[in-house]
Formats: sequence, structure tokens, C-alpha cells
Amino acid sequence: YDYHTGDPKADLAYERQYEHQQTYHVIPEVIKNFLQYFHKTISDLIDQKVYELQANRVSSESIEQKIYEIQDVYQGCVKLINSDSRFIMLQKISYSKKKSGFDGFTTAHLMCFMLSDADGPAPLELPNQWLWDIIDEFIYQFQSFSQYRCKTAKKSEEEIEFLRNNPKIWNVHSVLNVLHSLVDKSNINGQLEVYTSGGDPESVAGEYGRHSLYKMLGYFSLVGLLRLHSLLGDYYQAIKVLENIELNKKSMYSRVPECQITTYYYVGFAYLMMRRYQDAIRVFANILLYIQRTRNMFQRTTYKYEMINKQNEQMHGLLAIALTMYPMRIDESIHTQLREKYGDKMLRMQKGDLQVFEELFSFACPKFLSPVVPNYDNVHPDYHKEPFQQQLKVFAEEVQQQAQLSTIRSFLKLYTTMPVAKLAGFLDMSEQEFRIQLLVFKHKMKNLVWTSGISALDGEFQSASEVDFYIDKDMIHIADTKVARRYGDFFIRQIHKFEELNRTLKKMPLTGASSSASNSTSRAT
Amino acid sequence: MATTFEQMRANVGKLLRGIDRYQFNPAYFQTTVTSQILLKALTNLPHTDFTLCKCMIDQTHQEERPIRQILYLGNLLETCHFQSFWASLEENRDLIDGITGFEDSVRKFICHVVGITYQNIEYRLLAEMLGDPLDTQVKVWMNKYGWTENEDGQIFIHYQEESVKPKNIVEKIDFESVSSIMATSQ
Repeated sequence: YDYHTGDPKADLAYERQYEHQQTYHVIPEVIKNFLQYFHKTISDLIDQKVYELQANRVSSESIEQKIYEIQDVYQGCVKLINSDSRFIMLQKISYSKKKSGFDGFTTAHLMCFMLSDADGPAPLELPNQWLWDIIDEFIYQFQSFSQYRCKTAKKSEEEIEFLRNNPKIWNVHSVLNVLHSLVDKSNINGQLEVYTSGGDPESVAGEYGRHSLYKMLGYFSLVGLLRLHSLLGDYYQAIKVLENIELNKKSMYSRVPECQITTYYYVGFAYLMMRRYQDAIRVFANILLYIQRTRNMFQRTTYKYEMINKQNEQMHGLLAIALTMYPMRIDESIHTQLREKYGDKMLRMQKGDLQVFEELFSFACPKFLSPVVPNYDNVHPDYHKEPFQQQLKVFAEEVQQQAQLSTIRSFLKLYTTMPVAKLAGFLDMSEQEFRIQLLVFKHKMKNLVWTSGISALDGEFQSASEVDFYIDKDMIHIADTKVARRYGDFFIRQIHKFEELNRTLKKMPLTGASSSASNSTSRAT
Repeated sequence: MATTFEQMRANVGKLLRGIDRYQFNPAYFQTTVTSQILLKALTNLPHTDFTLCKCMIDQTHQEERPIRQILYLGNLLETCHFQSFWASLEENRDLIDGITGFEDSVRKFICHVVGITYQNIEYRLLAEMLGDPLDTQVKVWMNKYGWTENEDGQIFIHYQEESVKPKNIVEKIDFESVSSIMATSQ
């Protein structure tokens, strides 16, 4: 099997030799990896299925049947690979080298290339979870390689030479092309449009799109594009690619939890960078509730569980930032959780501590990428950090532009009417500067908010600021939002508890229980 | 007004994608086009196109002329330092050569911010914010928005009281929550 020596030049020469061959007796490394990946995934899947079925007391014949079905899928893939001449193209571009950066063309990439350049729909039925994993993995590989490529400090001359001579490996355009062709092939956008207007998507699905495999790959590619554009700092495009997906509904497409979570993470983050605070808060609160409720489902593999945990923490962080910039009421349970995790940090951010903002942003933001191949002759050691620094800078600037607003807000809450000059004095500002800050307050608190329509980009300018004001000549008039204390809920719950307790007591035997009963009642208050 | 904004928005979307290309191919980075895109984005305030552009121009290019100047102007507008903006623009008039109606778009944004903040504003103050030393612009914009001038040198914008009112959010207890309690109590 191992005809690849690990020396890129020799390997390349070797590949070229076999370029025009029709049949392969030697299965190249990357294909071997693919088959191993499939075999392992199928074994896992079989184990899992057997476990599920046994737990549900399904007959052993049914279990065997299920196993055959899954093995059929596996055989289908193997046959496809062995008979398909699409191999040839992959041979041209795949290099296998045992170092992490060069494993770029892995199973995921292989799958995508195969399917996106197909001459006809591949006769495969794969679980949605797999399809999501494939797209997810594909982008992750691109991400890893991009970052690897930029860290030239610890590379050997040989590696740098190889990179320099092969700028097309994991080129951002080809990654985009793969995703776009999966989207086009399935006509997923057309299908979604028809679906949301109540029609039958099959009518526009086309030859490929009617197969679940292509339809779902198309859908997951949209999410992939959302992610990719976000990683490249184009937030507008990121949300735009999802314009046919109703993000506020749980549609039939989105049953893979990791896909849901990833989608809302990136959408929320994009909203935050677009200064659509209300939308960001709404999106984060929703998905955090979703995670809270479905937590128990995520025991599949530890790796996935950890990833969801991490995104959960990150989204709490982003929500903390958004709520600091734009205080508004959110779901009580999420708010409690948030205070537990980030209460202290939120207080410091409210006081204007830029460092906390930046730390939280650094923790919670995506791992940004540069789409550009570095100039290997002139790369300084921190080059790989630049995409992140760039986004951090835009964020920090925004925070600084709004630096005074938090303090002004707290002062506004204290009064209803006052001369502008006097309030300026309290805030230790000149009247002119204070008037300017008031303009900034109004400007920054009026954001685009999604109200209706399919596209998440739609919106109207609204302000739901808890404290509002207007200036009339020399006076400022302030309107606050007061929220009455909620006691009804608390009382109702306690009354129910007490009744429950009473019922339990009545059922208890009288002998010897009287002393413990009186203890219980006193504890109930 | 909404239609014009939407149209501008659609165009800016394309322009932002234009930046994409230049970003991917640094050899083709064109300062002029990027500057134009940035200035165009400023004309779409209060939309955040300008901020989003900054996310796609790398640090090195951000420091080149005239991009640095444009970013500075943008910052002044975002922080509502309108008087400083006009002063700065005076020193860099050549920047906006290619963009028709740039100043009008900026004034439109300024009027938007004034309109949501003030009920009555001093004439002089508005004139300064509109960068109008010769007093030609104020009346034009007052007409556009239907603002009227009072006797005491004030301009009346509109009644803010309807939109800026104290709110009291009172707890609502619905019947269902208490019905079970009412049923069990005799």
C-alpha cells in the first residue's frame, strides 16, 4: 500500500505516472483512510443500532436485518469508489504526508469532490448526521490547514518550499466552489423557497435535489457557507446565504442538533458584529434554551458533547457582551445561568473595563482565517493571529465608541426631568460633549431588528432601550421602564408545594409520626 | 425613504462582495476602489455597512492614505462629532470627489439622529451640526422634514412624548395558574 514515500516531490511524480490509468490495483493512502473511516463509522453505527434495538427489545431477526441494511450502504460506497473514474482527478491533487497540515485532503474532502462533480446522482442513502459531519469536517480541515499554513516559524525549508509551490492546496476559492456546487446541485434554495411558501419542494428539486443525500448536503453546505463567510469576516454574506431558511422556525431540515447549534452560534455572532443587538440576544437566548432542554441527548460521543459544551459557554459569553451593550429582559432561566457564569464580568464591562470585553470576545469568537496565502518570504511570527486581531479591533472600536453609554444610562435612570447642563455636570462632562453623547446613545441604541419575513437580514430600525429620553431645548426628559416585582408566581408555587406536603402528611400513619410531622411543617415555611 | 435605503443596501451588498475579491487577491488590492466603497458605505448610515467593511480590510491597508482618512471621518460620524466631521472634511475635500451626493447623505443621517433625539433644538446648534456656516442648508433640511421655526430661535422637530413614555411592566397572573388553587381551597 505505501507507495507514497512522504517526500512530496517524489509522491507527485508517482501520482503523475498513474494519472491515465483506468484501473487501480494499488489503493492510494487517502482512499484507504476513507475506507477505514467508513468502516469505523459503520462499526460504531452498527454497535449503536444494536444497543438501541436491544434496549427496545427488538427481535434478533430485526437486528440482523438492520445490520444488513447498514452493510449494504457500506458496500455501495466501496463499489462506487472502486468503479468510479472520478478518482483520477483526486489523484492529481491528493498528497498524503504524515504531518497534520498535509492531511488536508481527507475523507471529507474526498466525499465532497466525488459528489460535487458527479455525472449522475450517487445511489447512496446516508444518515443526516453523517452528512453534517462530512461538511463540518471539510470546513474544519480547511480551517486547520489555513492556520497551519500561516505559522511558518517552526517549519522546515522543505515544508515552506512545498507550500510555496502549491498555493492551490486548500485554496479558499475551491472550498467555496465545493460548497456552492453542492448548493446548486440540489437546488436547495429553490426547494426552501417553495417549502416556506407552502408548496411542494419536490416540484423544483431537480434530478439530484429529490434525493435526500443531495438535498441534505445542499442544506448543510448553506450552513457551511455561513460558517466560512463568518470565519473570513464577511458577516453580511454569512447571513445572506441563509436567506431562504426561516431561522425562527424548527423546520424539517434541521434535525441534527450540532447543525442547529452551529447555525445559531454563527448567526448570533454575525448579528453582534452588525450591531443588531436585539436580534443577537434573541438568537442566543433561544439556542441556549434549546441546549438546556436537550442536554441529555448529547451522550453520543465525548468529542461531540465537549464541542457542544464549548459552544454553550461561548454563547453565554457572547450573550453577556450583547446584554451589556443593550440591556433588555430575557428568559429568567437563561438570565440566572448567565449571572452565575458571567455576573462578575458583566459588572466590570458595565463599568467600562475594555479588557474584560476583549478577553470574553477572544474566548467566544470563531477562529478567524485569512483567505490569502501568505508571502512565505516575509512572514512575521504573529501573522496567523492577524485575522483575529482585525476582528477584535473592529469590536474594540465599537465598544469604545459606546464607552460612556453605560454610565449615562445609570444616571438617566435616576431622574425624570432635568436641565441638560446640570446632568452634564453630574457626569463630569461639558454640556457640548454630553449632548454629543446623548446623540450617540440614541444612534447606537436604534438598531435593525428582525420583525417578519423569511430572510434573517430583514429588519426595521427599532429601539427597545429600557431607558429612553428626549431633549427639549435645554431640558432632558427621561422615560424609564419599571418592572414590577413578580410575587404571584412565587406564591403560587409555594402554595402548591404546601398542598402537596399536606397530602403526603395525611397519608402517613399516625403512630410515631406526629413529632416528625410537626418538624416537617415548620421546615416548609 | 425606505425604498431608497433598500436600494442602497442592495448595492452596498454587491460592493462588499467586491471587497471580497480584493481581499482574496492582495496583488489586486486597489486603494481607490476600496475608498469609494467605504465612502459609499458612509452614505448608508445608520446602517452598519461601514463597520462591516472594516472587518474585511486588513490592517496594512487600513493605514494607507486615503483609507486612513476615511476611517477617521467614519469614526467621527459614528460618534456623532458632527462639527469635527465637517471641519475634517474641509481639509480633505478631494476624498469625496467621486461620490455624488455624499454631503447630502451625511446630512440625512445627521437629521435622522437629531430627529430621534430632540423635540426642540436651537437653530444655531442644528446649523453647526449640518456644517452650514453660510446658513444655506438648514432651511432646506427643515423643509424636507417639515420642521418649523419658533420665535425664540428654536426649531420644532416633533412631539416626542408619544414615543418616549415611561413604561410600567406589571405582572400578569393568568387565571389558569390560580384556578387549581382556587379549586382546592374551600
